[in-house]
Amino acid sequence: MNVVPHAPDAISCLVAWQLVAPATALAIIGLPALNGRSLSERTTTRVVAAAFSSCFVAALAVLVLLASRGFTQHVVHLGQLFEVGHHSASIDLVADGLSVPYVCFSTGLCGLVNAFAGKYLHREPGFTRFFILLALFGTGMNLMVLSGSIDVMFAGWEFLGISSALLIGFFHERRNAVDAALRAFVTYRICYVGLFGASVVIHRATGTGDFATLFTSTWPHASCLVDHPTAVAITLLVAFAALGKSAQVPFTSWLPRAMEGPTPSSAIFYGALSIHAGAYVLLRCEALLDAAPLTAWLLVAIGVGTALHAAVVGSVQTDLKSMLAYSSMTQAGIILAEIGLGFRLLPLVHVCSHAILRSLQILRSPSAMHDRHELAAALGGHPGASTWSFVRLLPTGLGRHLYHLALERGFEEAIVLRAVVRPLLAALAAADAFERRWVRLLGGGE
Amino acid sequence: MIPGSITAIAAALTCMAAPLVGVAVLRLTERRIDPRLVAIGAIAASLGAAVTLAAWWHLGNGQPARFGHRLAAGDLVLVDGLTALLLPYVAIVDLAIVLVAPRRAFASAGVRRLLTGTAVTFATFITAHPAALAALWAASIVATRSTIRSTLGGQATARVYGRMMGLALTCMVAGTTLLAADPPWLAGSGARGAAGGWLVALAVMIRKGLIPFHSWYPAIFSGASLATALVVTMPQVATYTAARLLVGHADGVPHELVLLANAALLTAAYGAALAVVQRDVRGLVGMLAMSQSAMVFAGLSGTVPTELCGALAIWVSSGLALTGIGLVTWALESRGGRISIDTLQGRCADAPALAAFFLLFGLAVLGFPGTLSFVADDLIIAGSLDDHVHAGILVIITTVFAAIAVIRGWFRVFGGPVPIDACRHAILPRERVAFTGLLAILFGLGLWPGPFIRSLENVAASLLASRQHHAAPAAPVTGDRR
Repeated sequence: MNVVPHAPDAISCLVAWQLVAPATALAIIGLPALNGRSLSERTTTRVVAAAFSSCFVAALAVLVLLASRGFTQHVVHLGQLFEVGHHSASIDLVADGLSVPYVCFSTGLCGLVNAFAGKYLHREPGFTRFFILLALFGTGMNLMVLSGSIDVMFAGWEFLGISSALLIGFFHERRNAVDAALRAFVTYRICYVGLFGASVVIHRATGTGDFATLFTSTWPHASCLVDHPTAVAITLLVAFAALGKSAQVPFTSWLPRAMEGPTPSSAIFYGALSIHAGAYVLLRCEALLDAAPLTAWLLVAIGVGTALHAAVVGSVQTDLKSMLAYSSMTQAGIILAEIGLGFRLLPLVHVCSHAILRSLQILRSPSAMHDRHELAAALGGHPGASTWSFVRLLPTGLGRHLYHLALERGFEEAIVLRAVVRPLLAALAAADAFERRWVRLLGGGE
Repeated sequence: MIPGSITAIAAALTCMAAPLVGVAVLRLTERRIDPRLVAIGAIAASLGAAVTLAAWWHLGNGQPARFGHRLAAGDLVLVDGLTALLLPYVAIVDLAIVLVAPRRAFASAGVRRLLTGTAVTFATFITAHPAALAALWAASIVATRSTIRSTLGGQATARVYGRMMGLALTCMVAGTTLLAADPPWLAGSGARGAAGGWLVALAVMIRKGLIPFHSWYPAIFSGASLATALVVTMPQVATYTAARLLVGHADGVPHELVLLANAALLTAAYGAALAVVQRDVRGLVGMLAMSQSAMVFAGLSGTVPTELCGALAIWVSSGLALTGIGLVTWALESRGGRISIDTLQGRCADAPALAAFFLLFGLAVLGFPGTLSFVADDLIIAGSLDDHVHAGILVIITTVFAAIAVIRGWFRVFGGPVPIDACRHAILPRERVAFTGLLAILFGLGLWPGPFIRSLENVAASLLASRQHHAAPAAPVTGDRR
């Protein structure tokens, strides 16, 4: 990878704008809200719309400029945060054939969802909160996608995680929403160990977190610069992080519950961008995956397994958003399998097309239900639905078992709860009880 | 003594004297003047002096100012980078407490006790003499115990605190006596100095709340007032004592410090894990405070500047962020009593601004990008992994549990159905000022950490230099001592 930091030029300014614009929007609407004086609904949506639309235009301009240069990588050095001894942290962004198309469609989708949410959440008590979190998400997404080092990617990943959890719990007065938000956050946090661990391995192996020290050449034809065990370790850890973010087996249970959030956030997070964050990270590390076939085949197995699991479980869902969640999961699994099989442009095209289609479906879902009820009323009865299912082709007993398996979501959640979560919580509760008894004893038994 | 040193020592003494002047004013003007105003004035004066001192350190030549160094075994007054870092930090924490404290908890006697405690803490942070440190430990322990006893229902907690701190004080007095007789930071020290070091380490372990002496730490958050808990725990006097008496031994990093660092790592992970299953907010804050303050020790025995910088950065970042969480909790309790997190409390509609502040302080604790703790975590993990892989792994586990605990706590307090009789409590201007100020520091230093980290690097370098300075002539006696 010919990584030569460039002096500020048009591309650098346009790439930097991808961070500056949503972060400024976040500050403009967030600081008055923190001070108890939220901006009006119209101003709020206009500020966020201005940020995302300007980002979209800037990203298109970068795409054109990069295309005219044959998609050679462009590194933007925004500055060094700090330096202690040999350890330093700097903000480097990378514009190349992977990051710029991704930014184009992510900022475009954020802008569209912003326009939709302005109407959809009109007079909702958490109106400003939604747009603050959307701006935070946009900042994090652009930071992650354009990152030129694992440290910057990690920071963006964290923004995505917290904004996602807070939007799932947007309707905080509902118990289910709060439980779902906490479940999603815990999953993210467990998988955060993967990305954090990868960051640590990269730092120990190369001395910095820069991708330039990990692989050469421009995406998608990079080649690995680290030895085989290091590549395997990094890819396994990154894959672990990606499994959680993309709701793959064994971390699928949070995704259908995440639909408790408002429809616009479900569309942008679980139909479009957040669910593909894992795929993006894996695509960024494609050179390492090429050098680590073990991880690649593991991805194929988990991706195909998740796709089958989600297809079966999704077929028995009784509400539209859950069905769409499982459909997203299926596609995310197929995309991970594609990455594992060594495809590069195919998963990128798959991500973009799936994200656009799924966002539209989720945004349309509330009015689709309304239309269906109106149609039923006009027809004087249910308009009818296809009753054919592949289960009918199976023997009755097997079909019944499969149905039970699907209703129980493959028992995945029950197994994780029984084998991991409950024993851990029980051990912690026992330790806490022991602490309390000990303190009572020290305090004279009161 | 050079003129710059006189300025520094004068600023340090002013810092310590201002709260005592406040106490005197309160005594003289009983009930004629608002105690909060006096306390704010006194601590603001201390903050001004502390900032002057910090400016002196950063603009000067990096040489510490000393007074009373001819006394046996240490400097009676020592003003260096660590002092310049800690005095403004303590002043900010105390100022925030004074601003947020509910009116009913702010009677004149309580304010006098708070200001006296603040003066003792300032005095502790400007001395490096073992005997002076032991005396100041005794003063603060006695004062804190009496404050806890005066809290409604605080007798049991006072007993817990008294028993643990009594043991710590005994070890401290015995240890410092041996250290003064045979200072291990001088070449040629013998068995008495080594024994003194181990006793001081035991005292530090107890006062710091490290496993297996940690139980008093969450207990004080549950049984005492939150102001007392924060004033006692946030300055981390025990860490300072270790930095002064255990760092800089003649044979490099002493075994006591390594033991403390390992106990601290276990405490950090254990505290964060227990925070996940707490049943009330005070328990959550107590466990988080125990865990985060232990993290400081993870870097204190480090041999690279990165690790020491990380430890110092966590000292400040976790202290300010936990002060913020503790004060938001106090503000919530003052409106509706103690808060359970066994079930969803639905307090968001009641106090939306406090919900936002609680969340932001929580993010500042859990190492969210853009906050000082993100930088601190990065430094300590990078540094500790250079030294010991197990340390880095334990720190990562700690951050995972701490984050889950904070977000669980936030959802449990503010999420859930809104009680039918809930009324909306507006945040008070003084609360908003305190919270905004703390957040401005945490996010400001997180977004632009360069100058602050450079200053921490100087402090770390001075600590490491003192180690290397003493280590060189002492090499032949290392084997004899142990």
